[in-house]
Amino acid sequence: MDNIYLPHLVEIIDIKQETPDVKTFKLSFPDEAAGKPFDYKPGQFVEFSVFGEGEAPFCISNSPTRRPSPSTSSFDKSSGRSPERSRRASSLDRLGTSLGTGIECSVKRMGKVTQALHELDISDIVGIRGPYGNGFPIEDLKNKNLLFVAGGIGLAPLRSLINYCLDNRDDFKSVTIVNGAKTSKDLVYKDEYPIWQKARDTRLYLTVDCQEDNWTCMVGVVPKILEQLKPTCQDSVAIVCGPPIMIKYTIPVLLKIGFCPEEIITTLEMKMKCGLGKCGRCNIEHLYICKDGPVFNYAQIKNFIDA
Amino acid sequence: MTQKVVTKEELFKKLNSLTGDFEVIGPKEYAQKGIFYETAVQADRLYLGEDFSIEPVKKFFLNPSEWLFDCRYKNGRNSLEDVLLPNSKRIIIGVRPCEAKGLALLDKVFNADKHKDEFYLNNRSRTTIIGLACAKPDRACFCTSLGGSPIESRGMDAIIFAKAEGFIVEIITDKGQEIFGALGQILNETQRKSYALEKEKSKEMVRTKVKVRESLGGIFKNHYWGEVSRSCLSCGICTFLCPTCHCFDLVDEKRKRMRCYDGCAFADFTAEASGENPRPTKRERYRQRVYHKFDYFKKNFGENLCVGCGRCIRHCPVKIDISEIIDKAPC
Repeated sequence: MDNIYLPHLVEIIDIKQETPDVKTFKLSFPDEAAGKPFDYKPGQFVEFSVFGEGEAPFCISNSPTRRPSPSTSSFDKSSGRSPERSRRASSLDRLGTSLGTGIECSVKRMGKVTQALHELDISDIVGIRGPYGNGFPIEDLKNKNLLFVAGGIGLAPLRSLINYCLDNRDDFKSVTIVNGAKTSKDLVYKDEYPIWQKARDTRLYLTVDCQEDNWTCMVGVVPKILEQLKPTCQDSVAIVCGPPIMIKYTIPVLLKIGFCPEEIITTLEMKMKCGLGKCGRCNIEHLYICKDGPVFNYAQIKNFIDA
Repeated sequence: MTQKVVTKEELFKKLNSLTGDFEVIGPKEYAQKGIFYETAVQADRLYLGEDFSIEPVKKFFLNPSEWLFDCRYKNGRNSLEDVLLPNSKRIIIGVRPCEAKGLALLDKVFNADKHKDEFYLNNRSRTTIIGLACAKPDRACFCTSLGGSPIESRGMDAIIFAKAEGFIVEIITDKGQEIFGALGQILNETQRKSYALEKEKSKEMVRTKVKVRESLGGIFKNHYWGEVSRSCLSCGICTFLCPTCHCFDLVDEKRKRMRCYDGCAFADFTAEASGENPRPTKRERYRQRVYHKFDYFKKNFGENLCVGCGRCIRHCPVKIDISEIIDKAPC
C-alpha cells in the first residue's frame, strides 16, 4: 500500500542549542537506499514525528546545496564550508544529493511535540514526512536584489534560501539581510553571521528589541529598522518571515519604501496536520497553506491576512 | 441502465445468500434512539422505510478513528509497520441519494491526483452501494437546491425504489449488475412510462428551497457571521454527522498513529502551540464551515460541499439551520 501518512525513519546525527529554547536537529535518512531520494526546495517543510507524542510541521532550514551527512555530522564551528565543497556544490546538480542527503530543522520548544523533541538525543530515531508545500519561487528571484527580513525563528526558512543564493551567487544581485530578535540570546544561526558578512555584495543587519550591555549592532523592532535603512526597491524582492505581529507591521513599511505587493514574499504559518490539503486545518480562503503555500506573495494574501 | 422490478422476498433472499462473500451493512431501527447503520444485518431486520439514519454512511469509508501505522521498537531497532487494509467485500444497502453524493464529493478530496488516500479508496473499491430513493423528505431536506434529488443515483452502484408491489431497481454499475443481474423482471413499456412519470413528480417532494449563490464573496467581514453563530455551542455534531465534512486529526496512542474525526467547530482545531489561533471565536469557526462548503470547495472542485441532507439541522442542539443561513445571507 502507498500509505501517504507513513513517515521515513530518520536518525538524529547532531543537535545544536541555538538559543535557550531553539535547537537545530541534523537528520540523516538511514533507509534512503531503500526509498526514493529526499529532494526539496528552500521554503518547503516536513511533518516531524516523535513516536508516541505526535506530529508537527517544521520548515527545512538548510539549503539543498548544504546537506548534512553522517560523516560530516558535527556542526562546523570554524569557517562553514571548505572551498573544495563550495566548488562541488556549484558544479554539481544543485537540487540533487551531491553532498550529504540529510536535512536540518530548527525547533522552538512550544507544545507537546516540540517539548518531546527537545528531550531527544543524538542517534535517536524520529519520523519525517514530506517535503510538502510550494517552496520559494527561486526562478522569480533570479537577477534581483534580495532583501531578507527575519524575526526570531523566522530566519529558519530564510536561512535555507540565503545559503542557496550564496551558493549560486551569480544568479542573484545584492543580498541584504535584516534579522531581528527579542534579545541577543534569541538570535539563531549566530555562527553563520560572519560568513554572510564576508560574502560578496551581502549586507547583514542585526537588531534586538531593547538595548543590552555589550550589544554593538542595531536596536529597535524590525519594521523601525527597515524604515531607517530604506533598502532599495529597484529590481528587488523582499522575503519576509517572522511572527505574525512582525509581518503585520513590516509589510506597510515595505509598501511605503516602494515594493509592490507582488515583490513581497512571505511564508504563512498555521497548524498543519496532514500536509496534503485534506485535514482542513490550514484552509484560508480556498487555499491550503500546506499545499498551495506556505510561500505566498502579498498580492495573493492581502485580502485575508488582515481580516 | 437496466430497470427491473424485484420482489421483497427475492431481494432479501439474495442479501441473506450473500453473507458469506459479502458483509451486508444497512440501516436498522432502534426504539427511541433512531436509525443507525449496522454491520451483518439480516435482510428482514433492515429498515427500508421513510425515515433517515442519524449518522451518514461516511463512517464506513472515512472511519471515525483508524490506525495508520505502528512504530515498533524491537531488538534496539525502530521499524514502521503498515496497517493491513481489509479486503473483504461489503454491500451497503439503504444509502440515501444525499449520502451517496457525499461520497462522490469526498472522492474529490481523497482521490486527488497527488496523494491518494489508500485507506479511503480501499473502502470505496471493496464496497457495493445500493441506494434507496427517498419517499418522504422532511423539512430539513434541501437537496434539490444543491443539484441533488430524492431519486439521484450519483455515487451508487444501484438504486432501489420501495413500492407497494416490491422494489424497482435501477442498475448503474457492473458492481450493481453483480448483485441484481439475475433477479426480477425487466420493466415493460407501460411500467417504464408510469415509473418515469412518478420519478419526475417525486422531485417536487422536497419543499425547502434555498437560494444558493455562486459565491459568498464580499460578505466575509460582515457582522452576519457573528449573529448566526451566536448560539453555537461548538459541540461539533454538525461536522460529525455531515456526509461531506472530512476534517481529521492525527494523534499518537502509544506508538501507533491514529486518524480521527475533527472539525472546524472546535475551538482547538486551529489553536497553535504558541497560543495563536487564527479562528479564535465562534464567528470565525462557523464562517469557516459555511465558506468551506459554499465557496472554497466550489473554487477548488466546481461544486458545493453540501448535499442538503439536513442532518446538521435536525440534530443541532440549538437549532442552527444552515439552509436558512445560506438563504438569508446578505448580498
